[in-house]
Amino acid sequence: MKFADIIALAWRNLRQARLRTSLTVIGVVVGVAAIITMVSFGLGLQNNLLRDALARIDLFTSITVMGPGTDALLAMRDQSTDGAANGAGESNGEKSDDGASATPEPTPIPTRMLDDAAIAELKSLSGIRYVLPNLSFSTYVRFEGRTRRAFIGGAPQSIEYNPRFKKFLAGHHFTSDGAREAVVTERFISWVRSKNKPNGNRRRRPGGPFQMAPTRSEEERAREANGILGEEVVLLVPRERDAAPSTVFGIPIIDPSSNENGDSASEFGGQYEERVYRIVGVLKAEDGFDINNFMETDMFIPLDQVKEFRDSNLDPMSRIGELLAGDTGYQNAEVRVIDVTQVERVKEEIKKRGFRTWSFNNQIEEIKRVFLIVNSALALIGGISLLVASFGISNTMIMSIRERTREIGVMKAIGGSDGEIMRIFFVEASLIGLAGGALGVLGGWGIDRMANTLANRWILRQVGQAVRRIEFFSIPWYLSASAILFAIIISLIAAIYPAMRAARVDPIKALRYE
Amino acid sequence: MAILEARNVTREYRMKAETVNALAEISVEVGRGEFVAILGTSGSGKSTLLNLFGGLDRPTSGEILFDGQSLAPLSSWEMSRYRLRRVGMIFQSFNLIPTMTARENVALALAFAGLSKGERRRQSLELLDRVGLLKRANHLPSELSGGEQQRVSIARAIANEPQVLLADEPTGNLDSSRAAEVMGVLDEMRRRDGKTIVLVTHDHELAGGFATRVIRLKDGRVITI
Repeated sequence: MKFADIIALAWRNLRQARLRTSLTVIGVVVGVAAIITMVSFGLGLQNNLLRDALARIDLFTSITVMGPGTDALLAMRDQSTDGAANGAGESNGEKSDDGASATPEPTPIPTRMLDDAAIAELKSLSGIRYVLPNLSFSTYVRFEGRTRRAFIGGAPQSIEYNPRFKKFLAGHHFTSDGAREAVVTERFISWVRSKNKPNGNRRRRPGGPFQMAPTRSEEERAREANGILGEEVVLLVPRERDAAPSTVFGIPIIDPSSNENGDSASEFGGQYEERVYRIVGVLKAEDGFDINNFMETDMFIPLDQVKEFRDSNLDPMSRIGELLAGDTGYQNAEVRVIDVTQVERVKEEIKKRGFRTWSFNNQIEEIKRVFLIVNSALALIGGISLLVASFGISNTMIMSIRERTREIGVMKAIGGSDGEIMRIFFVEASLIGLAGGALGVLGGWGIDRMANTLANRWILRQVGQAVRRIEFFSIPWYLSASAILFAIIISLIAAIYPAMRAARVDPIKALRYE
Repeated sequence: MAILEARNVTREYRMKAETVNALAEISVEVGRGEFVAILGTSGSGKSTLLNLFGGLDRPTSGEILFDGQSLAPLSSWEMSRYRLRRVGMIFQSFNLIPTMTARENVALALAFAGLSKGERRRQSLELLDRVGLLKRANHLPSELSGGEQQRVSIARAIANEPQVLLADEPTGNLDSSRAAEVMGVLDEMRRRDGKTIVLVTHDHELAGGFATRVIRLKDGRVITI
């Protein structure tokens, strides 16, 4: 018998018991819809985190390169005092990449300073989009008569590509590396704004790496940003390095910001030099994860100028480094790789050159593994309801065989083989699985759409203004396909016993005259 | 040479504790083109013999030969092909599939032979025409008289051109005029198409009227040949 005829026979059998077939299919529909809903929620979560929140800042193509840590600096000093110069190549090729920790790998002791020569060397590696040395410091700034402590980062004038400088709310980047120009962040603006609120400047600024979208409209923010363009901001820099003793780990014991209306640096005992910068641009904060807010950076000035400041305003670690080894170079550098698949190779090359590296890549794998486990668990829960449905399938088929014993006997008497009889029942089961699977995918999709709409409406009510619509669920094609396939496989397994029973029907008994 | 032969065939059935010998060391031959009637009372073993000839059952000992070849070594699948191609069976209760029309019942046998849909349609109508039921092709068995139903089952039995027709009390459920009609069709199959007919019955008259030879069975043994 041709396979098409077997399908036709199976289809005919199912249609003859429409109610029974429908009820059996509904069982499968519920099971598949449960799997789809569960797993699509897990995948949606994964997408929201990995694709939207993290990928927006291009974390996956970024490698952070670090100079030596304190232990390494100590080792370096020991080596130099011993006159031994054999340290440079020893840690080559050593891999400490266990992928599970978020701390820099400690084992290969870096032996290189992250100085200008090192940056040039990193730039010469292949597959690199750009290398951005990172140098930052904290100091006091005065703006519109108020003084506060601020975190200042350096940036080169030429930035071919960097997500941190992608969007300007107003204005533009520095015009040259030598210009006394500053680019501020929205973080800085929120400080400025707090002036008008009672107690505002004392309150902790809104922050945290994951914040909801800024609660004010973009036009309003842009207007505000345009308002401070061209204004002058004064950086207060310790006049000489000897000013250091009045600080504990770089933080002055006397807090100048306590004087709200201080208009002169001389109030701090004349130890500070004033440098005036003009605000030329305001960077736009990203929805969700904002890297500048995360790094607590208030403003950027040209990198070369930060180097000058740094000498007089070292952070504690750099200070220790400098004491031990003379110079620590840059704090770190961001190496941006063109292609995400090249990250591991570039990382290895950088390590070979004696630097420490850190990238999100390992963490991404780890997060993906966790999600795989979560999704599997969700699928398992959904799968249980499909298991229940499989008993329904078995039951239906056994009933059907009892009713059709005579028919099976006839088929055998006129030349049907055991295999053909068996196949008819297997096809019946897989049709139930296919129908249930397809309708279940539709049902799961429907549930997802409904839940998503309700959830977004709820969020809207909580936040009270327009936010980007969030997709909580994701049904990729392979989820639908595998859910349907799984339903068919479960149905076939459920049909094994009934089909064998049908094949074993004794035609003589089945046809015996009653 | 005999087309069907039973050689020293014994068929035992185990029923709970006791063993019943439906056939005991029986040897029967059916020649090509013969119309053999197997006559016997209920429990004589006549239906058992027919089922053995029809490949629905296997003997406990001895062997069944078709055209000189033993059926014993055939696999289950080969046995199904034997039932499909070599023999056609007709039953007392017709055994048509009640949800299929007359034409579909005939076409089912052709489907097992792997014929295409169009070919099945053409041949099944032709077969129904041969038994005089072309006009009833699209009727369900429940809409047909007993005689008509039996004629449909004959059309089904000859669908794949078997050389042998095995009929088990084919007129048992029919009145005498319908019975004569059905027997007429079978006889025609033998005369015109040269089919070999093996008829199982308890009706002496029926056996004597059409058969070329009568085999009497009693308690699983042949009485006279």
